[in-house]
Amino acid sequence: MPDKTFMGVAREMIPWAPTIDYQKCDFCMECDEFCPHRVFEHRNGDVKLVVANPTNCVVFCRACAKTCGPDAITFPDKAETVKFIKSLRCGQGQQT
Amino acid sequence: MKWSVLACNGMDKAEGALAREIGMQVAEAAEAEIVCPVLLNRAAKRYQDVLASTALVVIDGCGTRCASKLATQMTVKPAHKVLVSDQVKTSGISLETWLRLGPAELAFAENVKDQVVSTLTAETEARAAPAAAEIAWEPPADYLMVPYDQFEFRVPRVGYLFNENDLWVRVRGSRGRVGISDYLQQSLTDIYYFDAPELGSGVEQFGELGAVESSKAVFEIVAPVSGTVVSTNEALIEKPELINEDPYGEGWLVEVELSGWPDEAEFLLDGQAYSETLTGKAAEGGAAGKG
Repeated sequence: MPDKTFMGVAREMIPWAPTIDYQKCDFCMECDEFCPHRVFEHRNGDVKLVVANPTNCVVFCRACAKTCGPDAITFPDKAETVKFIKSLRCGQGQQT
Repeated sequence: MKWSVLACNGMDKAEGALAREIGMQVAEAAEAEIVCPVLLNRAAKRYQDVLASTALVVIDGCGTRCASKLATQMTVKPAHKVLVSDQVKTSGISLETWLRLGPAELAFAENVKDQVVSTLTAETEARAAPAAAEIAWEPPADYLMVPYDQFEFRVPRVGYLFNENDLWVRVRGSRGRVGISDYLQQSLTDIYYFDAPELGSGVEQFGELGAVESSKAVFEIVAPVSGTVVSTNEALIEKPELINEDPYGEGWLVEVELSGWPDEAEFLLDGQAYSETLTGKAAEGGAAGKG
């Protein structure tokens, strides 16, 4: 089994991570200060924050988006992600 | 019951202007006292009596939640909360960045006001009504103890199933009761508000079942089961600290009439399996972080 799993599926197979809308983001860094999983990293230059470690993100957690004043963070559709995870479980013999 | 209203006055966003308008409308309709955030911040004593004698409605404009944070700073627990940016998203209204409110924005504000007033009326009636007969949910008989650093996380040995987002469910017949784990309540620290889902609303497994708020985070309740919300823990309106004090008992959140049981149990962990995930979670998030 891989190091990190969620619902019995390898974490890197699950496309769940924040997306930053740079048209809205004002780089206040509230999301990064909040997230203890080091999903975000700072950069020099115009784009000062990136999603550097998407697989560190806790699947179904959207707490960083709820800290975002300019509403610049989005996540994939939850119901679609659940469906996808369940299909992967079927494909691998429903390991838990 | 008497109400007071603390609304965002944010003058840098359309959502702030809307929050202020909604706050005024709610105050008028519910005969509630207005608490000015600027004056509260500057001279808290002015509102000492009002906040002690009323139930507080907090209206935040955007996700920065300044009004909520101000209430926390003043150690006041909101009885009801509204996040205008969420309401805007749900309604599909397109907001101009200009702060003056046009007819569409005013109509939207009135709609939100109507929803809030109707919730406040229902809450007032519910508090006055005698409690209905309930299923007796006895406390856990025995816990697994998971030590980590200076922390210790309790997990009921039997009778509770968990999802990997740290929510539990226990089932009696077709009814499921949902709450958060001891690990999660310790990670969030002092919880000051439970944003309960609407009674009668449907939820899918892993869908959203309200949120709990602490000074650290707004944590979305990821439903461990599918079903219809039939009850929410009204004791949490006055005492949200029950979630911290007794997460597996008096601090329960929601009861659901189950629609996908028992098949959905396949996607949940028993006490033993859940307890085995906690050391890794605590190490990665820091025990003071969230799951």
